[in-house]
Amino acid sequence: MSTKQTIAIIGATGNMGSGIAKSLSKSNNRLLLFAQHLDKVQTLVEEIKKGNPAAEAEAIACPTNASWEADIIILAVPYAAEKELADKIKDVANQKIVISISNPLNETYSGLTTSPDTSAAEELQKLLPNSKVIKAFNTVFAADFATPVIGGQQADAFIAGSDAAALQTVSEVVQQAGFNPIVAGELTVSRTLENMTVLLIQLTMKYNYNWVAGWKVLHN
Amino acid sequence: MYDLFFQKFNEKIALTAEEEALVKQYLTPKKLRRKQYLVQEGDVCKNICFVEKGALRAYVLDETGDEHITAFALEGWTLGDLSSFIKAEPATWNIDALEDCELVLISKQAYDELLQIMPKYETYIRLLMTDAYMALQRRTTYMISLPLEERYLAFTQMYPTLFQRVPQHMIASFMGLSAETLSRVRNRISNRK
Repeated sequence: MSTKQTIAIIGATGNMGSGIAKSLSKSNNRLLLFAQHLDKVQTLVEEIKKGNPAAEAEAIACPTNASWEADIIILAVPYAAEKELADKIKDVANQKIVISISNPLNETYSGLTTSPDTSAAEELQKLLPNSKVIKAFNTVFAADFATPVIGGQQADAFIAGSDAAALQTVSEVVQQAGFNPIVAGELTVSRTLENMTVLLIQLTMKYNYNWVAGWKVLHN
Repeated sequence: MYDLFFQKFNEKIALTAEEEALVKQYLTPKKLRRKQYLVQEGDVCKNICFVEKGALRAYVLDETGDEHITAFALEGWTLGDLSSFIKAEPATWNIDALEDCELVLISKQAYDELLQIMPKYETYIRLLMTDAYMALQRRTTYMISLPLEERYLAFTQMYPTLFQRVPQHMIASFMGLSAETLSRVRNRISNRK
């Protein structure tokens, strides 16, 4: 595909947001980056362009404008901030792919704050009923974007959603970020995916994986 | 965001507030900056595009890499590579923005669903396609049958706003002429008066 897609990353200066932005800046996508502090976003843009002068990345001062211009919106903000942002982008995100990356972790990282019969992704879908919410990037750590191949194995990145074309598009984006995309199922599978991250975090803390860790499905 | 879209829709067939709300669920608002592409040749044209603000053009590239403009779209017009959109095959047209644009896109999935669930949408599309076909018929007839001066005058009457809005070399390309030829044609017309 040669037509450039425009991807808005909301929360671009966080660990996850900047990891996603840096890795996608090497692909055939145009990035619109938003975060609370515009100066930090501009620093990120400079950093991206220093590494890759051909990268199309731009700081943008308003999440609504960024999402209006975008084909794909990545909400790289904590779960607690999603509701407020959803209100701001709801109209302009109509019919668009919105990627939910969040894990609604509790304070001790021992579990999720959402009830077992839902997930962060499903809650976001309720807030954005006319958008195509897709769960992605939640099972990988921020540091994995710099090293998606860990111990000689390319980390898997699971994707969940209910729109076939949107799943295909997001699989391509995940691949461009350096991971092996696996479509896990409908959006409700996000419940499992979000819990997988709880386990990965617990294991990382217990065994000192140094926050470079990921899932890999072995199969024949 | 959708004001002009619904104004034009209602000119063809009137919608109730509820029907407008239903159609709105299927629309994709999109900003496109000058020189950015809606679709490039070889990719599937996934959307039909209504221009709320700004201007677009469609062009093809010939073997020598020269551009030939096949269509324009100003405010209130609809544009897309229709064959690519309907058949999900690679586009032969490139469509890019001549000015910063606010667009209303309809994806193939949204288009198919609206046609199924809403008879008024089918009417809207029928009238839209009929208008487009009649314009194409006129344009083709002018192109192959009129002498250059008459062709130029017929085109200016057919697209008055367009001729004021876009550069002359693009008008020339759209009429299948070189910029020099178009300039001579215009001179001959002004000398007539």
